[in-house]
Amino acid sequence: MRVDELQRESARPLSPGERGQPPLVTAGVTFKSVTEQVCKAVLQPEVPFFWFTAFLFAVTALCVFVVAIAILLDVGVGTLGNNIPVAWAFPIANYVWWIEIAVGGSLLSSILRVCRQNWRNSINRLAEAVTLSGISCAGVFPLLHLGRAWISYWTLPYPNTMTIQPNFRSPLIWDVFGIFTYAMASVLFWYFDMIPDLATLRDRARTRPAYVIYGILALGWRGSSQQWRMQEKAGRLFAGILTPLVFTVHTVVAFDFAISLVPGWHSTIFPPYFVMGAILAGISMVSMMAIRIRSAFNLQNVITERHLNNLAKLILTVTVLLCYVYVIEPFTAWYGGDPYEMYTVHNRATGPFAWTYWAFVALGLGVPSLLWWKRNRTDTRFFVIALLTVVGMWEERYMLMVTSLGRDFLPSSWANFAATAQDNALLYGSIGLFLTMFTLLVRMLPMVALYEVKELLPYSRPGGGSVK
Amino acid sequence: MSAPKRYGLAAEFEDAGQLVEAARAVHDAGYRRFDAYSPYPIQELDKIIPAWTVSVLPSIVFGAGVAGAFIGFYMQYFIAVNVYPTNIGGRPLNSWPMFTVITFEMAVLFAVSALFFTSLYFNGFPILYHPLFRVPGFNRVMQDGFFLCIEARDGNFHPTHTARFLSSLEPLRVWEVDSE
Repeated sequence: MRVDELQRESARPLSPGERGQPPLVTAGVTFKSVTEQVCKAVLQPEVPFFWFTAFLFAVTALCVFVVAIAILLDVGVGTLGNNIPVAWAFPIANYVWWIEIAVGGSLLSSILRVCRQNWRNSINRLAEAVTLSGISCAGVFPLLHLGRAWISYWTLPYPNTMTIQPNFRSPLIWDVFGIFTYAMASVLFWYFDMIPDLATLRDRARTRPAYVIYGILALGWRGSSQQWRMQEKAGRLFAGILTPLVFTVHTVVAFDFAISLVPGWHSTIFPPYFVMGAILAGISMVSMMAIRIRSAFNLQNVITERHLNNLAKLILTVTVLLCYVYVIEPFTAWYGGDPYEMYTVHNRATGPFAWTYWAFVALGLGVPSLLWWKRNRTDTRFFVIALLTVVGMWEERYMLMVTSLGRDFLPSSWANFAATAQDNALLYGSIGLFLTMFTLLVRMLPMVALYEVKELLPYSRPGGGSVK
Repeated sequence: MSAPKRYGLAAEFEDAGQLVEAARAVHDAGYRRFDAYSPYPIQELDKIIPAWTVSVLPSIVFGAGVAGAFIGFYMQYFIAVNVYPTNIGGRPLNSWPMFTVITFEMAVLFAVSALFFTSLYFNGFPILYHPLFRVPGFNRVMQDGFFLCIEARDGNFHPTHTARFLSSLEPLRVWEVDSE
């Protein structure tokens, strides 16, 4: 390095978290090596064994999902355990849970981009894949829960011969718009962000079909400086628009609960509380996927220990916030003086569904707290912790449904909920849909945003030298 | 058959630093119709190669967002007040606080759609063929290639003078690019 190069390098402002940290990309990674590494996973004709096993498992579960949906549509919602008063149980718990997982992915892809956290560059694409797969699963459940899914379009305002229109004062209609906008924005952002990497695949394709397909998808990307500037600017705008959207989409989901009068739901703390839960579940899911992908495709040089460390810190932060909510919830119930609220809090911890409450406290608050110890951030331990946290978050959603609806104002209308085989099949099957989508996205599209990783390499800046 | 129409002259450079220096030299020599091609965005090029579309983009997105908000609110107002009025606890038909969520969602939907389609349009997409794709080695541009192309439509372009000028910038190679 020449002296002026060294000066330029030392003048580059470091972000506060960068000082004293290991590099985001390990030594020895070059433009060429990272391109080959990531593209090989997509373009190699051989199917890797571990991928095939995961895909087989996913498709088997997806078949269960298809059969369960067919039975549900054929026989009716009576096959589910839902009944009055617990009319929202598994389907809505699943829906909220999958939306949470999607929202966590968006946090990495848009909110951290707005905050200029460039460590997220190499796990960005994975997070977006989690978001897309999560939204797909989430979108299925409200439709199934309607009972007559084939007339679900009645929730949309359109001129019709029945001369009826949706009631825009209902949070359930807000949700229709919220989820649709969120899904659209996520898909557009995901695709837009990927165009340069699709062009990389086009240029490296060895077979005619791959060349044609990636060529069409890349739209004619050439990497010109004008295109890059548009890409950068539009990417920042996308992230800026998505940031409030990510918060509102889960806030609107929380409104479905908070705007009702049901004890335990009718609370202003619900929207932030839902968003925190979403970040916890979503980041845990992204961590699980990042850990699996980095060992399966030998990507330890771009998805490094530092990424896992940062993900662990994010998980810890939201765990602490969520603990606060769980402390403040009984306090507001007691301070508000409403006997129904107080009973709900009491019933959650000691009633017939106390096991869901304590399962959540153990898995959703206790287990992620293990990440305070650095030795628990190794691949295997972190994976197990993240998995249990995701399970814990599902318990929480389930607990919120059954304890509040089953014990409302009138003791004569109290009832318990019992899940049926159909409920379990749909939950298991939706995991199949998620994994099928995720494995296919990983196999067919670049799983690491190449150009964003290249920007992190030390010689990517003018004066950084050449590494051809 | 007449000679093929010239698209421009392309040169490949060793690394990002040389590409930026070359782009600066090309700009200083009076050329305006040229562009640099790299595997990742290089901020230093932004000052050298102007792109007016980038500064227009936010206004278009904002306009689309405002339009979406108006359309979203009016859709709800029109349906709740005129098409299908429902009396809910004697509250006014135009219960606007309850309409804010969908107004916001529609604003975002319009803004994001405008952002997506406008930026693709400004980038000239979709274009499935481009003369530069015929430059040997240009398929490395997304891997580790740093290219610069002076286009023939530039007023200062001259087949031999420009080629000599480009060669003086110490590129790895220089190619003539035909447009068909």
